[in-house]
Amino acid sequence: MAAIVNRAPASGLAKVGAIFRRDAVVALSYPGNFALSWLGIVIEVVIAWYISRLVPASPKFSPTGLVAVGYFQFLAVNSAFVHFQSAALNSFAESIRDAQLTGTLEIVLATPTRLTTLVLSSAVWSFTLTAMQTGLYLIVAVMFGLDLSHVNFLTTIVFLVLTVAAVSPLGVLAAALSMVIKKTGPIEWLSTSTAAVFGGVYLPLRSLPYALQVIGWCLPITHALNGFRAAAAGVPLSAAAPDAIWLLAASLILMPFSLWVFAKAVGKARVDGTLSMY
Amino acid sequence: MLTVEHVDKSFPVAHGPGAMLRSMIGRSVPRRQILFDVNLRVGRGELFGLLGPNGAGKSTLLKLLATLTVPDRGRMTIDGIDVERDPLGAKRRIGLCTSDERSFYFRLSARQNMEFFGALMGLSGKHLKRRIDECIELVDMREFLDSRFGGFSSGMRMRLTLARALMADPGILFLDEPTRAVDPVHAEELRAMIRSNLVDGAGKTVILATNLLDEAWQLCDRVAVVNRGRIVALGPPRELDVELGAVARYRVTMDEVDEDLLARTRTVPGFRDLRIVRTETGVDLHVEMEPRAGALGALMRAVSWDGSTLRDFRPVETEPVDIFKRVTLDDGGDR
Repeated sequence: MAAIVNRAPASGLAKVGAIFRRDAVVALSYPGNFALSWLGIVIEVVIAWYISRLVPASPKFSPTGLVAVGYFQFLAVNSAFVHFQSAALNSFAESIRDAQLTGTLEIVLATPTRLTTLVLSSAVWSFTLTAMQTGLYLIVAVMFGLDLSHVNFLTTIVFLVLTVAAVSPLGVLAAALSMVIKKTGPIEWLSTSTAAVFGGVYLPLRSLPYALQVIGWCLPITHALNGFRAAAAGVPLSAAAPDAIWLLAASLILMPFSLWVFAKAVGKARVDGTLSMY
Repeated sequence: MLTVEHVDKSFPVAHGPGAMLRSMIGRSVPRRQILFDVNLRVGRGELFGLLGPNGAGKSTLLKLLATLTVPDRGRMTIDGIDVERDPLGAKRRIGLCTSDERSFYFRLSARQNMEFFGALMGLSGKHLKRRIDECIELVDMREFLDSRFGGFSSGMRMRLTLARALMADPGILFLDEPTRAVDPVHAEELRAMIRSNLVDGAGKTVILATNLLDEAWQLCDRVAVVNRGRIVALGPPRELDVELGAVARYRVTMDEVDEDLLARTRTVPGFRDLRIVRTETGVDLHVEMEPRAGALGALMRAVSWDGSTLRDFRPVETEPVDIFKRVTLDDGGDR
């Protein structure tokens, strides 16, 4: 037997890296599924382009509302970045569910790793993949006529970070729910489609009835898409500040709350002995 | 050092929306008691067996110690660390080998799985690589290190589970049926490795939950027999033989027996039972006596009193299974 090992403690970052590698290797071990997900991105752009040809240009599609903008410009940017919300809503809960199904949840929780590290790291691969696929979406969309010549990169990067920070808590809450009720499919579907309609992915929020606009204002994705459309139009960060501040505030409130709820959910599963149930 | 003091544990009988709703409105949800007032003290470097029938509560006790569930009442410590108050501190000192052979990623190779779990255990860089090599070598899995876990047999999965538990070189190991589904040759090697390398060699404390009596009797310094959530017997296996067996067995081989001899035998002080087995060459008397002083001599005198031909007389060792049956079937638990 080996002598006692002097453990060089892996940092939290090393653990995040291990979880990222695990998820990447698992995803790449299904090459057909992986390739089809990229092909799906291209098909999405083509469909968006065909639909947008039926809708005339309007100032309603412009971030400023002053000049007429084509529907494709509006829809393509929204569709590209709404994937971050889907990734957030699905990946955390899916990760928990996969761990329950494969029987790895208990053994992972038996390691000296903080719950926060475990749950937040579980979406790093998903966000990375989403970022790459969003990049492809935009490249293909440019080939179909999307104008990104005025992009403000600072505004884009700030909104990217804030979007991930603001939508992740929703995913963590879904994961908490998954820990307790084990299946969250309908809830994820409902929240994804609600966000798509009220968050202004397909229609500008200002074209919806006032009550629905209020609902839309309460959703992080609304402010995220406002920001990305503004960034695509070259709007400086200062002009997009209200949406950025909304997202920042939402992140600061929702993130600790969601982690607290997740810890409570794990605690309940531990008390009830249902960690490995599915 | 590991202690368990007055630990009770119950689980809700019902799950799902109905149970959740009852719980949310403050109504009690029916629970089933799994452990009753369990008390244990396991010393450093001890190989301690948890033996019991299925559903006795052995795995629940290991899960409590591994922080995967929490007790309703009581306290547990690992090297003086309160398991509930400082779960991370406790987890740094333990290695868990679950009986669930699925607990790996099927799409990953053995090496990739070990790298992942090793990182979560706090290992990195060269240490991690070295520990993977050492632990894989111990369970004789080197040639399968780069094969996908999904293609492994049940026995190979269990061996990898044990290797994973050893990765961080913890002082305390919880092994839940580590030889389950392992072929006899590798099972014997694993047992030898647990006893010689881990306990005698490296001074580790091992809690071994098993259904296999011979395994517990062969390996463990002390054994706790768990039945219906209670510890019904505790001690070194050989002492349990005497304390719980509470019977000495002898086989007396004779050419023939008559009623007088049988009657004399039945009147020997400490006599408990007599069974007659006729063989091709004679008669075997299987006699059970209370293990009291002088009983053996009295029995010998009884069977040779009138010059009967005594061809063989030998004690029969109490089998672990007899003790197990005695303590688990006689126990009037209230579950």
